[in-house]
Amino acid sequence: MKFSVSKEKLLAGLQTVQNVVSTRTTLPILSNVLLHASDGQLRLTTTDLDVGVSGGIEAQIEKPGATTLPARRLANIVRELPAAEVQIDIDSKNVASIRCGQSFFKILGLPEEEFPPLPKFEGAKTFTLNQQALRDALKKTSYSISTDETRYVLNGILFSFKENKLTMVATDGRRLALVDLEVEFPRSQEVEIIVPTKCVTELGRLLGEEGDVKMSVGENQVAFEIGGTLLVSKLIEGNYPNYRQVIPGEAKERITLEREVFLNAVHRVSLLSSEKSNSVKLVFSKNNIEIAANTPDVGEARESLAVAYKGREFSIAFNPEFLQAPLRALSNDEVYLDLIDEMSPGVIKIQSPFLYVLMPMRIS
Amino acid sequence: MMLSPVSSRFFPHPKPLLTPVDKTLNNADLKTTWMAITTALRADVSVDTYDRWFKDIDLVELDSQQLTLRVPNNIYQLWIETNYISLLRAAVMLVLQETRAIRFVFAGTAAEPPPAPALQPARKAGAATDEPPEPRVTGMNPRNTFDAFVVGTNNQLAHAACKAVSDAPAKTYNPLFLYGGVGLGKTHLMNAIGHAIAGKKKAKVVYLSSESFTNEFIDAIQNNTLIKFRKRYRNADVLLIDDVQFFVGKVQTQEEFFHTFNALFDGHKQLVLSSDRPPSEMAGLETRLVSRFEWGLTVELLAPDVETRVAILRKKAQGMEVKLPNEVLEFLAERIRSNVRRLEGALMRVASYVSLHEGRIPTQEKMEHLLKDILHEEARRAITIDQIQRRVAEHFDVRLADMTSKRRPANIAFPRQIAMYLARELTKISLSEIGDAFGGRDHGTVLHAHRLVKERVLKDEKTRNVVSFLDTQLTR
Repeated sequence: MKFSVSKEKLLAGLQTVQNVVSTRTTLPILSNVLLHASDGQLRLTTTDLDVGVSGGIEAQIEKPGATTLPARRLANIVRELPAAEVQIDIDSKNVASIRCGQSFFKILGLPEEEFPPLPKFEGAKTFTLNQQALRDALKKTSYSISTDETRYVLNGILFSFKENKLTMVATDGRRLALVDLEVEFPRSQEVEIIVPTKCVTELGRLLGEEGDVKMSVGENQVAFEIGGTLLVSKLIEGNYPNYRQVIPGEAKERITLEREVFLNAVHRVSLLSSEKSNSVKLVFSKNNIEIAANTPDVGEARESLAVAYKGREFSIAFNPEFLQAPLRALSNDEVYLDLIDEMSPGVIKIQSPFLYVLMPMRIS
Repeated sequence: MMLSPVSSRFFPHPKPLLTPVDKTLNNADLKTTWMAITTALRADVSVDTYDRWFKDIDLVELDSQQLTLRVPNNIYQLWIETNYISLLRAAVMLVLQETRAIRFVFAGTAAEPPPAPALQPARKAGAATDEPPEPRVTGMNPRNTFDAFVVGTNNQLAHAACKAVSDAPAKTYNPLFLYGGVGLGKTHLMNAIGHAIAGKKKAKVVYLSSESFTNEFIDAIQNNTLIKFRKRYRNADVLLIDDVQFFVGKVQTQEEFFHTFNALFDGHKQLVLSSDRPPSEMAGLETRLVSRFEWGLTVELLAPDVETRVAILRKKAQGMEVKLPNEVLEFLAERIRSNVRRLEGALMRVASYVSLHEGRIPTQEKMEHLLKDILHEEARRAITIDQIQRRVAEHFDVRLADMTSKRRPANIAFPRQIAMYLARELTKISLSEIGDAFGGRDHGTVLHAHRLVKERVLKDEKTRNVVSFLDTQLTR
């Protein structure tokens, strides 16, 4: 197998697929990237048996073939090469000779037969989504994904395709983020799947600002085609909880907040919260919110914010990180905070279909 | 201003509903109990929250161990367990004056309670998923499930680890290595994992003892069916192997198992192993196997304490539909300490006596007679002073003779005092006799030693650890 390619293209290609390679893997072949050269294209593929990425780059193929090489090492080498043409020659024993300018490297690879193939699925349900919209939706929900491995059903985002709408939900039991996207698809394709966190992260990296992404849903796999790159992942098996139940009904008070101002105030005040006193208190009074936190034996912090508020005086406390996360992920100037009382969850909403339900902390 | 995630608000004191231990509640009782609990809850949650999460819940079962709530769907369990469990527990505590484990069933599952039950058959008290007929895994006792397993401090870590493994095989602890003495629950837990996984996920669960593995391996070699043998075990999604200490000294079998282990582990398949001792203590096992066994989580199952033993007996008695008074259960729990199997065997005997004698409960004397061989076995395992002295001497690297000698330096005197403390704690031997066993010392000396060590244990962590370790070693 022999080909040459520009250093930039090769590096870009490797960087696209490198993330998925697991650092501590039991099978050596999984630390390798599969290189497949044919028809003027070099295809790079990596996998960790749950998630796999495959991307193609243009190359001059002198002799087609396939092999696998250590992904991290190869990327490290290519990164340091001068900006020129890189010639790679791989013999029948999977030993790669890499030449670029005056540099010469030799690394040992493993045969391509050992590399686990990415699944092919026929008859899958396909959906076409806008990349920017999907990326935005992932950003608005992924921070709420549960990291508790014993509740594995929650270690991902629910994608619910129903009635020309894609609803994406992430929750960890204490807060829930939900986004709706308009997508057209026939009734026969209605489906609910749970996409695992690692795939979500990878997807967020690969999605761009323009164009579409083709999403294919199989029996227990999902694939995303973004340009020439393919991301495939296993799905999480199990029943996602009935999230609708969590969303509170009619709010008693709705407060319009300037997102950035509020976020910064909460952030400043939360400097005086600690692991033991992990909450910030919001005290609502006429046209004012006081945001406060304290840690006994350390100190306290307070900040006042002017808002339009005519409701009754009351206080509610939230986990500072859970309060800031959605505010950081949104980009709107204004957000709405819907509240009922100090023992009921609060909901952060914006103009477009998004909501974030957050359970309050108890004030004793 | 004090902020804390758990409420400590005062809530009104409804009339406590006392539940006699062995009585099973009918529907009316359940409704009343639940009403009392929700009254307590309502004081602490908003109307909205109550309507949303608690209004549609029914209490479907209540016994001395647990409380089963029926909820419309799975989000209820998630949200309540994450956000309202302490409130719920507090309300239960207030109403029943005792804690209970809280379990959830979803509406429409097979675990609905029959109306007005006089006798509750030994039914599993509602799992969190529906219960289709469980696919049988060959070689496993169908009665060994998580529901039938009594959790106590002696095994809660092992139990939690096994639960985690059955919920997410190959994603939590892999391999999982359980070890412990005879009759303490290793096989029960392994079977429970197997049943749970076979039921929930369509996974191939294989359970066998290492003896069977060895025999089958030998057969396969002799009959030239190695490929079939390998396929059977290497295609499993979950492999449960009991009593791996049996592999000690069997070189070829260890080699085969090594390859089987690797094939499964590399394929991200779950392995669960059990043994009578930890991997590091298995001399005669290849180091590469020992290191693999220790790769994941190694957990010990200890003998249950007296409260847990009583709980086990209660649960078993309930399962056998036999009513035995507390005194009988306590007698059994007190006298049979080392081995749950023996305990259950004793219970069987007493229960059979009761049913053969038309419900007449045996007197203590009668029971001593009934169980005399079991009790004799127990007594044989009673610890001797000699054993204690040997163990302590070995641990502190002093001579056995130093235990009885008159030497005063602290490095000899302190171990001697610890040995005297353990003799007092672990045996029924009188102070004077202990004193005699330690080189003709006075009973007052023994008492002083006991007091001193006790104080040190309370104050100094190192001493506490050493004494605790020796205690475990001796009562194993």
